[in-house]
Amino acid sequence: MRLNLIAAALAASALFAGIAAHADQLADIKKKGELVVGVLGTDEPATFIDPKTRQIVGYEVDLVNAIAKKIGVKPVLKQIAVAARIPELQQGHVDLVAAGLTHNKEREAQIDFSLTTFVTGQKAIVKKDSGITDVPQLAGKKVLTIRGGTQEPNIRKAVPTAEVVTFDTSQQAFQALQQGKGVGYVDDEAALLRSYAKLGPQKAKYVVLKQNLSTEALAIGIKKGESGLKAVVDDTLRELEKSGEAQKIFVKWYGPNTASGFQTRDFKFESDKID
Amino acid sequence: MPLFDYSLLLTGQYHDMLVAGLLLSLQLLAASLVLALPIALVVALLRLSPLAPLRWLGFAYVESIRNIPLLAHMLFWYFGAPELLPEGIKQWLYEGHIEAYSAIIALALYTAAFMAEDIRSGIRAIPAVQFEAGRALGFGFMGTMRRVVLPQALRVTVPPLISQTLSLWKNTSIATVIGVAELMYQAGQVESATFRSFESFAFASAAYLTVSLAITGLATWYHHRFPVRTI
Repeated sequence: MRLNLIAAALAASALFAGIAAHADQLADIKKKGELVVGVLGTDEPATFIDPKTRQIVGYEVDLVNAIAKKIGVKPVLKQIAVAARIPELQQGHVDLVAAGLTHNKEREAQIDFSLTTFVTGQKAIVKKDSGITDVPQLAGKKVLTIRGGTQEPNIRKAVPTAEVVTFDTSQQAFQALQQGKGVGYVDDEAALLRSYAKLGPQKAKYVVLKQNLSTEALAIGIKKGESGLKAVVDDTLRELEKSGEAQKIFVKWYGPNTASGFQTRDFKFESDKID
Repeated sequence: MPLFDYSLLLTGQYHDMLVAGLLLSLQLLAASLVLALPIALVVALLRLSPLAPLRWLGFAYVESIRNIPLLAHMLFWYFGAPELLPEGIKQWLYEGHIEAYSAIIALALYTAAFMAEDIRSGIRAIPAVQFEAGRALGFGFMGTMRRVVLPQALRVTVPPLISQTLSLWKNTSIATVIGVAELMYQAGQVESATFRSFESFAFASAAYLTVSLAITGLATWYHHRFPVRTI
């Protein structure tokens, strides 16, 4: 195997990309007049396509719009895949990533994070007739989820013996659960409750397990070392918090009158530290 | 952070994941190939049958399979077809390795359609007088095929069949969409766990290339060892 050859080729291309990178991203964004943001667009209600207007809307979109307004440029949303979020940011294809991105220690070596913008538990949903009532009972069973996120590592941490099967989109994984191709399906609580709400009359056959597999702090991803850009993003979030706008945006997408139906907002935009 | 981290590929948990993926890909290749060959032979004979309805059946099979992308076949055999089974069988299947079974069925049926065409071309490469001579000696259609035509035809057919095997090997990667933990799937998992995209996909590319070259080498060797007899 001539791996050293491959390594040399890869090194050359990495260098090439390095030359193309600029010193200060914020200045570049202002010069371009647009802020390019990577979003999922398949993650209701954070970022999803409004069936009426065909535009991408949602909780994260409102935050991004506020950031673009503060910089004084136009926001441009670019749909990306779950697994591509960090590479797209590192290679400079997007300026920010607002795509249900979990802030964790492993990722801190790769990119920087804004203040935490959302806190959610990851939960499991099972069919009632499976007889499963809490998370440890998933041991040795097939559990379905989406690929490229933190869901899979979290299932492995919580239930090491579970057999995890992953799919490209949460819709496919949820479909597999409905067909009985696994006993449980795991996702962020907000997204899981959306899928659950869509079941309609079938809801009675399913139960959402109370226990969290993990608690996730979601944040906006920023390329490593872009302190100017990070400062603007964090300032915008602090201002939204102070003016009460952050609370309004939360209630609009996740509040009691939505399918997610959160009664209270248990977090604030205040810290970019995680435990 | 080093630019290219070999250690990730050579030892430890991620190495194990990638190797497990490679082994499963090879298993998909072997199982699909073993299933596809007999199906292909039957379909090729259907298409050459003296009975018109059988010819139509073979034609319908080949055309309906060849003209739909493999991705659609995969999704159908995983999300669609098993749902039509009786409840008891369905539950038993779903508790097992339904992902791998669906992938093997999709790959085998898909590859068989292409192989059937290659086998048919091989049979048609044998001069018609050989077949007529067989019939004149009193053999039936199947007897003539088995004793006279197929032994010559399959020798002509082996090189194109090996190239179909090469396509099959690359097509095993499509199984990742239905959650089969083959090589591409595992490379994706290693990437999302470590963020070392270069290394995980370099391993996958190198593995696909190595096996592909081995298959191509086999074709070249066969060509030298068993040249087509000039008739």
